[in-house]
Amino acid sequence: MSFLTKSFLKLSALTAIFALNCAPAWAEIPIDQIFKASMDEPVEGPYTPQEASRFLQQATFGAKLSEIENLGRIGYNAWFDAQFAATRTEHTPYLDGLINAAIAAGQEVRVFQGERTEGWFRNALFANNDQLRQRMAFALSQIFVISDQNGAIEGNPTAIAHYYDKLSENAFGNYRTLLGDVTLHPTMGRYLSMHMNRKPDAALNIRPDENYAREIMQLFSIGLVQLNVDGTTVLAGTPPMPVPTYSQETIRGFAHVFTGWNYSTCRPPESATSFQWYWDYCDTKSPSVIGEQDYRLHAGWREPMKPWGEGSAFGERFHSALLGPLPNAAKQLLVYPGAVPANGVLPSGGTSRSNLNVALDNVANHPNVAPFISRLLIQRFVTSNPSAAYISRVATVFNTAPRGNLRNVVKAILMDTEARRPTALHPGKVREPLLRLTQLYRAFDANSRDSNNNFITSGIGRIFEYPNYWMAQAPVSAPTVFNFYLPNYKLPGETTTLNLFSPEFQITTDTFITRIHNEFEGRVFWQFRGNTNLPPITDWNPMLLDLTRDTAVSANAANLVARLDLLMMGGKMSAGMKSILVSHVNSMPVATENDRRSRVQDALWLVMNSPEYVVEK
Amino acid sequence: MSYLQRRDFIQRALMATAGSAAFSFLPAKLALAQSTLTGGTLLRGSGANDYKALVCIYLYGGNDCFNMVVPRDASGYADYRALRVGNGVAGDASNLAIPQANLLPLNPSVAPIGGGQFGLHPVMTGLKEMFDAGKAAIVANVGTLVRPVTKAMYQNNPGILLPAQLFSHSDQSVQWQTPRADATDRTGWGGRLADIFRADNTNQTLSMNVSLDGDNVFQSGINVAPYFMNTYGVEEIGAINTPDANCGPTNDYRRRRCLSFNALQNLATSAAPGHAFERAYVVKTRRSIETAAQVSVAIDAHPASADKFAPFWTANGLVQGPNNVDALPRIAQQLLMIARVIASRGVLAMKRQLFFAATGGFDTHDNQNADHPDLLKDLSQSVKAFYQVLDVIDPTLANNVTAFTASDFGRTLSNNGDGTDHGWGGHHLVFGGAVNGNRIYGKMPSLKPTATNPDDIDGGRLIPTLSTDQYAHTLAKWYGLQEVDRLTMFPNLNFMNDPILSVPGSDLGFMQPS
Repeated sequence: MSFLTKSFLKLSALTAIFALNCAPAWAEIPIDQIFKASMDEPVEGPYTPQEASRFLQQATFGAKLSEIENLGRIGYNAWFDAQFAATRTEHTPYLDGLINAAIAAGQEVRVFQGERTEGWFRNALFANNDQLRQRMAFALSQIFVISDQNGAIEGNPTAIAHYYDKLSENAFGNYRTLLGDVTLHPTMGRYLSMHMNRKPDAALNIRPDENYAREIMQLFSIGLVQLNVDGTTVLAGTPPMPVPTYSQETIRGFAHVFTGWNYSTCRPPESATSFQWYWDYCDTKSPSVIGEQDYRLHAGWREPMKPWGEGSAFGERFHSALLGPLPNAAKQLLVYPGAVPANGVLPSGGTSRSNLNVALDNVANHPNVAPFISRLLIQRFVTSNPSAAYISRVATVFNTAPRGNLRNVVKAILMDTEARRPTALHPGKVREPLLRLTQLYRAFDANSRDSNNNFITSGIGRIFEYPNYWMAQAPVSAPTVFNFYLPNYKLPGETTTLNLFSPEFQITTDTFITRIHNEFEGRVFWQFRGNTNLPPITDWNPMLLDLTRDTAVSANAANLVARLDLLMMGGKMSAGMKSILVSHVNSMPVATENDRRSRVQDALWLVMNSPEYVVEK
Repeated sequence: MSYLQRRDFIQRALMATAGSAAFSFLPAKLALAQSTLTGGTLLRGSGANDYKALVCIYLYGGNDCFNMVVPRDASGYADYRALRVGNGVAGDASNLAIPQANLLPLNPSVAPIGGGQFGLHPVMTGLKEMFDAGKAAIVANVGTLVRPVTKAMYQNNPGILLPAQLFSHSDQSVQWQTPRADATDRTGWGGRLADIFRADNTNQTLSMNVSLDGDNVFQSGINVAPYFMNTYGVEEIGAINTPDANCGPTNDYRRRRCLSFNALQNLATSAAPGHAFERAYVVKTRRSIETAAQVSVAIDAHPASADKFAPFWTANGLVQGPNNVDALPRIAQQLLMIARVIASRGVLAMKRQLFFAATGGFDTHDNQNADHPDLLKDLSQSVKAFYQVLDVIDPTLANNVTAFTASDFGRTLSNNGDGTDHGWGGHHLVFGGAVNGNRIYGKMPSLKPTATNPDDIDGGRLIPTLSTDQYAHTLAKWYGLQEVDRLTMFPNLNFMNDPILSVPGSDLGFMQPS
């Protein structure tokens, strides 16, 4: 395609938008800014606002008109470059701010998982500079799962926020580094019980805990069976059978490796027999200091775990350096061509740390990692059913030096032809409920009712959302380590007959379907700026949508529907759906401002709960 | 993650890949697991009129069962009083001891293991009547166990297998509901029962599991998710009229929205080739709407004002005046709604149901004297009313509906000045005509101070002498769980034959043969 043709396409698209008059903000942009210096840029697209919007629905927490315009101006490549270069938004500092402010004011510290969830929403909704990184962190949080539904970590919101920040820190980094950070984060240590996992003791009938050993392989890296680079299952033997990636012996081997770790702040054991389980002993200074510091600020919950007693006289007391299930106390790791150590056998000896590093390298270098992780990420961003060719293309990027570069992987996922120009019969995925909510809030520039940034005062200015209650999904709150839904979940019925995976359908149950309709009703028909019927702000300070922009275009039903198509559906609304919505809107009065706002609300609610919208294509 | 969850996961993975070519080549062992699963969905019902329901009454916070069932013989009461009496001043917040004379005496038909005489908290007259009539039983000192444990093992062996996060509300409540103390996933035994027995229901739209208290682990199966109701009924989509073909009689904005809503759904199902996910979403949405409408219509035929629900009004001291649902205790409101659903079982075409009701406030660290008696009264009198109502609906129902309590943990025997703290083992209640009632099962624990108490690990926290696995399995067996599924659902039962337990084995005997 020649540059001229591309320019023509772009020009046509813009002309169409001007003609529709459905995007006044776009129309106000001086023409020379849209086309920049050259009519031929950006050659990679997007060529239309709809394409830009559709991309932003995949790559961010929802398209905003301003972001659509920005992407249209700079093109995909510059957009990626800006995202990769952007300062990272974290969520721990926000919670620390709340805690320290309460302490400074002499108040009880009321910072729990609700406040953490609020911090998550603030980043997802308002941090525009690093949306892709945040969206990647969210995807990673559904692969490297920890959860506030677990008693060991539910009490510590800042530790969970810190884990999430670790995911965002590694979002464009290296897979192996990510795996190491995940493994040694205290929240993961507690969640999958590698924390204080100890070497075997025959006298006490103790064997190492196998929990983390199993999950790191099954869920965080390679899966159950050997895969080809395109994600298909390797079949071997007669008759051809799937080949397991590991055995119970491998799990035992890793379980022995993952022993001896504790909070970084724990003092070393005081004698060859002392056994200090308690947090009281786990402070950098003295047992009493923890009592004076809010546990939510404690370093032991943020620094990577450390071999208990590392470097001390009784260091390594709890690590299985000299005990292993294989002959000569060796430990079985993964076996694959080129595996290190040779034949996957880790000899006796080493330290907690050295053995852990060997074991993590052994996992990270397994050939399954590229297709396994690539497929899981594609499912979070683009489609539940990527073709083998798509997985292969992304996995190849994963395997290209520097291997495991997640920045290259995420760009490959989003820029793949299957993401940008899908041709499959049933492309895309059911939208995650949480992303439906963030999309709504972003598209309509929602903010808390008082719109102030003083987020410290008693409940005012806070975003209180309890999405678990109505959508069975909340950030870092999956019911199990298997996430909210399984990557291979198939809804019984036609979708199973067609052999389609549909993870998000697993939480689309009778109760939650109804609740989602009703909660969106509240947000669309009630929670809008200018609603004079709200209770006093001191009683209720919800997120409010700004409907004024679209109220201004709603006298013309077609323009309103085109706007919603652009913002919510990336231009994928069918002609039939447009026609139904236009008729609906035209049946409504238009005389007053309230009439025109009601048109926006009806149309928006119908879109938000329509099959065409719910399935993001 | 244990073998069982592992197997479940593999089963789910198998279900997910059942249509793929690779499936037929799966190792025989896994294929066997698959066939066991499908085998489990065979009809288990035994006749057209047969109905069976379990009602889990969850007491959030950890019930102080040691003030619910109290020794009334001289030495047992003396031990109790010494632990609970505080400053001994009647009416003082520190005096948690119930006066001996006020206890409602129980006279079980069989002397409890280890002897002793016991009485109920004086507010629990409903429970006393049901117990005396053989319609209720007490199960003593039940709790989460991975393996049976003695005090010596607990104190001397740091490697002993113990439930994770003992004394923690969230973990212990999950373990009570799974009911396995070493389970890490969140499927419960009620959900697993429903995975098997839902096939018995003609109605395959409404979930077999109905919760009156939102999401819970107990009712979550591998394939079954609970359907939530509230004490007013069902949740329906509010922005539109019920979307039948005409969207209701009144031509208002809700009808217009409904018509467009329907049109969008029809568009997705009629489009060619269309998108399979869109069609599936429409099927799911219609099912959600249909379920709500179905249940709503069914229970409307049994309004709370109907005569049969009279036992909830005044008779049991729950509320003054009739038909004031909002004034009822929360647990009574929930049981009333459950009774309305059970009354609708024919219309709803349900033969197997599991209900979840729950009430909170049992975490009585403070002000126990002010708070706890009301909670016990609400529980006792509401359950009594519930069974009276069932008798009116159908005299055979009480034999087919069994209610039981569950709670995070028992509390400390010791007194913290105006309350009690998190414990471990505790007593529980089972109700219904199928219960071998008027009995105390298991061994009532010693209430001696820690040093001389064989079950007290520290501060009055009692090692359970019966496990949640045994308790749940006894109920599940009555419900119809077959031997072949026993260890799949309750794998730790294998370890519960140990004489460390007050009643070893998988059946505690408190249910009549089903």
